[in-house]
Amino acid sequence: MTAILRLTLKDIRRRFARPMGMVINLSIPLVLAGMLALVFTGRDDEPPRMQLVVADEDQGPLSRFISGASGNEEAARYMDIAQAANREEGLRMLRDDDLTALLVIPKGFSAALLSDGKAELELVKNPAQRIMPVVAQQGAEVVALYLTAGRAALGDEAKRLQTLFEGEGWNDSVGVAALVATVYGRVQEAEPLLFPPLIEIETAGETATATAGGGFSPIAWLYPGMVVMGLLFAGSAQMRDLLDEAQAGTLKRLLAAPLGAVQILVSKILSTGALVAIAQAIFLITGRLAFGITWGPILPMTLTSAVLALAVTGFSAMIYAAVRTQRQGDAFGGILIMLSSLVGGAFVPVEILPGWLQTVSHGTLNYWATEALRALATGRGFGTGGDLNAALAGLAAVGAAFTLAGAFVIHRRHVRGAM
Amino acid sequence: MLRALRVAQSPERAAASRPDDPLQVSDVHFSYGKTRAVNGVSFSVAPGEVFGLLGPNGAGKTTTISMIAGLLRPESGQVLIFGDEASDSSGKARARMGVVPQDIALYEELSVRENLRFWGQIYGLTGSRLAAAVENVMRDVGLTERSKERVSALSGGLKRRLNLAVGLVHSPDLLLLDEPTVGIDPQARIRILDVVKAQAQAGRAVVYTSHYLEEAEQLCDRLAIIDHGAVLAIGTVAELRRLVGEGPVVHLRGEVEAERMQRMAAHIDGITLLGVDSGTASFAARDAAACSSLVRELFATGGGIDDLRVLEPTLQTLFLKLTGRELRD
Repeated sequence: MTAILRLTLKDIRRRFARPMGMVINLSIPLVLAGMLALVFTGRDDEPPRMQLVVADEDQGPLSRFISGASGNEEAARYMDIAQAANREEGLRMLRDDDLTALLVIPKGFSAALLSDGKAELELVKNPAQRIMPVVAQQGAEVVALYLTAGRAALGDEAKRLQTLFEGEGWNDSVGVAALVATVYGRVQEAEPLLFPPLIEIETAGETATATAGGGFSPIAWLYPGMVVMGLLFAGSAQMRDLLDEAQAGTLKRLLAAPLGAVQILVSKILSTGALVAIAQAIFLITGRLAFGITWGPILPMTLTSAVLALAVTGFSAMIYAAVRTQRQGDAFGGILIMLSSLVGGAFVPVEILPGWLQTVSHGTLNYWATEALRALATGRGFGTGGDLNAALAGLAAVGAAFTLAGAFVIHRRHVRGAM
Repeated sequence: MLRALRVAQSPERAAASRPDDPLQVSDVHFSYGKTRAVNGVSFSVAPGEVFGLLGPNGAGKTTTISMIAGLLRPESGQVLIFGDEASDSSGKARARMGVVPQDIALYEELSVRENLRFWGQIYGLTGSRLAAAVENVMRDVGLTERSKERVSALSGGLKRRLNLAVGLVHSPDLLLLDEPTVGIDPQARIRILDVVKAQAQAGRAVVYTSHYLEEAEQLCDRLAIIDHGAVLAIGTVAELRRLVGEGPVVHLRGEVEAERMQRMAAHIDGITLLGVDSGTASFAARDAAACSSLVRELFATGGGIDDLRVLEPTLQTLFLKLTGRELRD
């Protein structure tokens, strides 16, 4: 037992004497998680604003209604609207000031819309921008839709309205009153169709936070998958040391010492387990400090960590039982870890995978490990529905089976002189 | 390969083998698949004796050393270390043995002192005994000043010294040294040889393999020449020299056909063909006159000879005589 302890401590000391490999193994999942967190939770900055320039060549009542939207408080939250005297000036502003889009209201737009109901609006999008011009186009289409609906609702009264706007009918007070009454009547007719709205949109200004108390948090969902992937990389890197020692000749030297092959193998498994546990502690602390994830009470968290370390160690032992060289181990291990992370639900919910792939997923260590950590991160610990209990049982079974099988195969290879 | 001469194990030493010798190798055999690597090797090593194992690459030296170190189990025969089987799972035999492998087998990430402390602990040293052993062995190999340096920062020669020190740290009664001076400068080699001599003088049995015949002649009390998995000759340096004879050995390179060489040897009085192998041929000459006759005949028959050497009777010529090859072939 003393020899096993000394061998284990030697491996840990060696790993910390040259920590770069471990740092890389830990940093990749952390960087991935950080990037995904930025994508899914956004930043605290103001959202990007639309910079719209309107060239009102019409100067009619409807064009002033459109261009006057810049004074609207709601619109001002999302966009800045600048005015241009004409299309040419608008194009120059669009180009020089890198604005989102130019809306040209051509001369005669109001008259055309109110008279025969056919009018055109022109939207010139900035080709150098990707997203905001599309938003501007959608906005312009909504404006066009509203104007078309309003014109259709007014019917023949639109022409009387045009006469009023052109300033020739304001003296006919009876005519104005009749027009107002007509428009009011049309609005009343349309009211049952428009109100009350069937769908209400509620917006919340709060940003999502990861809490153990419930509610969906993207980072609390994503981070466990990254942690498991990182642990698998860290574990396999440490188990690779068995082949490194074989190549360096120190394994033969150990075998020529008064040690049994089993002692050497057990020490490798223990050092892998210990380093995985250390890596796990770093991941959990980073998750708490950087992403605000709480991992629940200490007992379930500790138990989960221990079972996870066992499972990752077994997985790593299996990889290096199956390969003959470090290069094979790196390639095979890397592919296997990435595939099992993908299928195991590290990046996408398992529920959206095809049925047969979901079955495969339930056979991976990543699935159970990720589920266990997600259960902790979302407060579904012991006695809260059994999620953690089931995941831990699955993990322990897979981990113990892998560890025993891996150790058996490696030992058999040694006995046959292959190591 | 035509082999004209076979030399049996030296009868004097074979009879002198004692049951209480630290190392007894008795008729061991080992094969890698269908390839027979060791075929009935036997020898023993007494306390305070440096025993050299010489042979070209692929002769079976490393396999023999691996069986002594307990890394391989003989298919038949026995390796006893202080009366215990070398491959015994209890490790009792291995605990009394220090192994210095041909490759530098050290932990590059650890310092000189950390390496020595670790290996000392593995062999059961603790506390003040461990500390004293580490200091002593560092002093012996001249690494005290570099004790805190990482192995990765050491030169090749210093690594070789540390490689040796690791095998010595627990003061083993039997020391296995597999080519410990390969690839190092003369100064470092002298230092290592001095340490090995000191170990033997302290009463430890040493098994030493080397490519350097001069080194083996200088260091070893007895030598075994091994090739194709079998011991061709065994004895002290003086005994082996007697096997060479007084006359020179003629070694040729060029267009040498076995049939022509055999005819020539039969034709010239005092010439024995030792061997013909892939463009080389070796002859033992009874005296200088026989040697001259051979050389004249060779050039008279007009064969394409690229290189011809007349060698004095040394261990090198004995090796050639026994194996038909030079040691570094």
